[in-house]
Amino acid sequence: MWQRRAFLKAAGAGFAASLMPRQALALEQSELVFASAVQTASGSYGAVLLGEAGDVIAQVALPDRGHDVTISAKAGRGVVFARQPGTFAVVFDPSGQAAPVTLTSPAGRHFYGHGVFSPDGKLLYATESDFEAAQGVVGIYDATDGYRRMGEFPTYGTGPHEMLLMPDGVTLVVANGGIETHPDFGRAELNLDTMDPSVVFIDRRDGTLVGQLRLDAGLHQLSIRHMAIDARGRVWFGCQYKGAPSDSPQLVGHASMEGEITLLELPAETLAGLRNYVGSVAASRDGATIAVSSPEGNLLVAIDAEGRRPVLVDSLRSGCGLAPDGSGFVASSGLGALVGLAGAEREARQFDFQFDNHLLRIS
Amino acid sequence: MRHLLVLIVLCWASVAQAEAIKPAEVLQGAVVDVIRPNVLRFDSASRGLSSAMQALCAAPSAHGKAVAQRQFGLVVAAYGQIGFLRIGPMMEANRADRLLFWPDRRGIGLKQVQAILSSQDSAAVALAGLQSKSVAVQGLGALDYVLSGTGSEALTGPDGAYRCAYGMTIAANVAEIAGELVAGWFAPDGIADHLQMPKDSNSDYRSDVEALEALVGLVAHGLEAMRDQQLNPFIATAEAPAKPKQAPFWRSGQTMALLGGTIDGMRGLIGGSRIATAVPEKDKGLADSIDFEFRNALRAIDLVTLPVEQAVAEPKQAAALGYLALVTGSLQAMVGEQLSAALGLSVGFSALDGD
Repeated sequence: MWQRRAFLKAAGAGFAASLMPRQALALEQSELVFASAVQTASGSYGAVLLGEAGDVIAQVALPDRGHDVTISAKAGRGVVFARQPGTFAVVFDPSGQAAPVTLTSPAGRHFYGHGVFSPDGKLLYATESDFEAAQGVVGIYDATDGYRRMGEFPTYGTGPHEMLLMPDGVTLVVANGGIETHPDFGRAELNLDTMDPSVVFIDRRDGTLVGQLRLDAGLHQLSIRHMAIDARGRVWFGCQYKGAPSDSPQLVGHASMEGEITLLELPAETLAGLRNYVGSVAASRDGATIAVSSPEGNLLVAIDAEGRRPVLVDSLRSGCGLAPDGSGFVASSGLGALVGLAGAEREARQFDFQFDNHLLRIS
Repeated sequence: MRHLLVLIVLCWASVAQAEAIKPAEVLQGAVVDVIRPNVLRFDSASRGLSSAMQALCAAPSAHGKAVAQRQFGLVVAAYGQIGFLRIGPMMEANRADRLLFWPDRRGIGLKQVQAILSSQDSAAVALAGLQSKSVAVQGLGALDYVLSGTGSEALTGPDGAYRCAYGMTIAANVAEIAGELVAGWFAPDGIADHLQMPKDSNSDYRSDVEALEALVGLVAHGLEAMRDQQLNPFIATAEAPAKPKQAPFWRSGQTMALLGGTIDGMRGLIGGSRIATAVPEKDKGLADSIDFEFRNALRAIDLVTLPVEQAVAEPKQAAALGYLALVTGSLQAMVGEQLSAALGLSVGFSALDGD
């Protein structure tokens, strides 16, 4: 966990001096910091770091639309990944001391918008596409050597999306969405009839497959996309359905390294409100509550992880980004709103930029 | 005199303000004046193609083949006007892919169609049999090959009997799907009612905002799909030469009919619904700006008169194709971002983007 005081200490005087006085004060007084990719009112793309009070503490310019952000206190760096099929990732120094560095995916690969650091901050893992072969890979980057790409291993599926590090610090869990895309055709989904989504557990030390879980064959068009880990180490996932809109399959479930995978039975009204589309998934700080969002249905749902039932349903227009906050969550929207959810005491804020799909809690 | 002019202008402005179009009128205009007529036109063209194929198969001739090919072109253009309507009946029963399986990066459809023709698969010449096969062999892409691909010259004589029967079955399938689209857009308490009268109890559109977002989204995402799937794959880039065989309907020479129909359909939806006029006073210029860009796109399409294989090698026509790609990008930003923002909608950013 990123500690504010440690962060300030590590950042040093140079950092404070590099900030505007108001921003430095905001950072000093801040308990929480969130990060998100955004689109500004002028149409340009970037990422922002927000303080507890909602002040924009830092901004990073991006060459095109970003997606998710990952951060490592050990590395002292954050990374914003391009939205798929983008080929850039921008490594930034949250303290503002070092200039951002732009990484480019190698020929034949593009990013999928998500990634994660190793616990020691020395390695960065990114979900990528080997698009000629229509296979997902995890690109490995050396954070101690200018983010040189060291190699890759397969995700054992097509269209990998979010990737998390399991609590053991060794196992990566990847949501293979199952959808083939190719940069020649933009974001067109090329294999909807033959999709094969899965959740895979991979040993990050050598890329070996620890386990691969699939839903029933009849749900092959249920693209598993986003995940969060609960207090028991179960991986909660949210799906996007690519079949007929009237089908309304269940969209939220959990998987475990013990080989279980199951979908939750959400009530019909809640399920209908998700519109066959879960945009992000987050776990509360204690891992007891899971939140899922649907920007298409303008719906946020908090789920009791132990009881496996919704405890709160709220609406937020274009709401998608979710991050833990207090005992609940904070949600961000494509219309620039930042609001508390499920017990989080947070005053709603409105910004003049649009939040992208994901909101990261840094500390 | 000057005061009188000012007064007239003010009165006109207040009338214009008072007559600001309401969401319900926009939605009604979209459904009644644009979508339904275009779906009916596609249905009519498809039934015409089905009958032209029946006539060709009953009496194979060069003339009959030419008639079928011309009717195919009309169907492609009419499809362009409705192919981007990725809501409602188009999204049920795999109709979108069954009408046109595209893009087909691995050429799966071509291989499957060739296999059907070479094996003279009896299942493919019965409607139910065809409908149980891969979506890639059921629709307009397959018919493009049947009518204009390698071996299509056989259609003018008895040797092409099987090929013709397969084409006739595809045409019947397309006509059946077109009929289902009509039924879907005219069904009581169906998508048309839900779009025009959004309410909480609807499973799809619960408010004017959601319905308007769907409308704007159709065009914003339709422009992206057209550029990324139907245009960019075959035009030259800084890194790679043109690949005209990646163009949809290159065999029949109907690529530009598809693109023209698509732009025409999207322009019609914006114009016919008057959605771009339902904006605050400061954004009133947007409607003209959007239509200006649509007309630029149509002018570029009109400049491409050669078959795409030749057009990509002819400097002026290749430039027109490149310009068309730029204009679709500009239009996507104008509709998906500027118009969306002016209407207070969220389209094309967080929502509806498949991430």
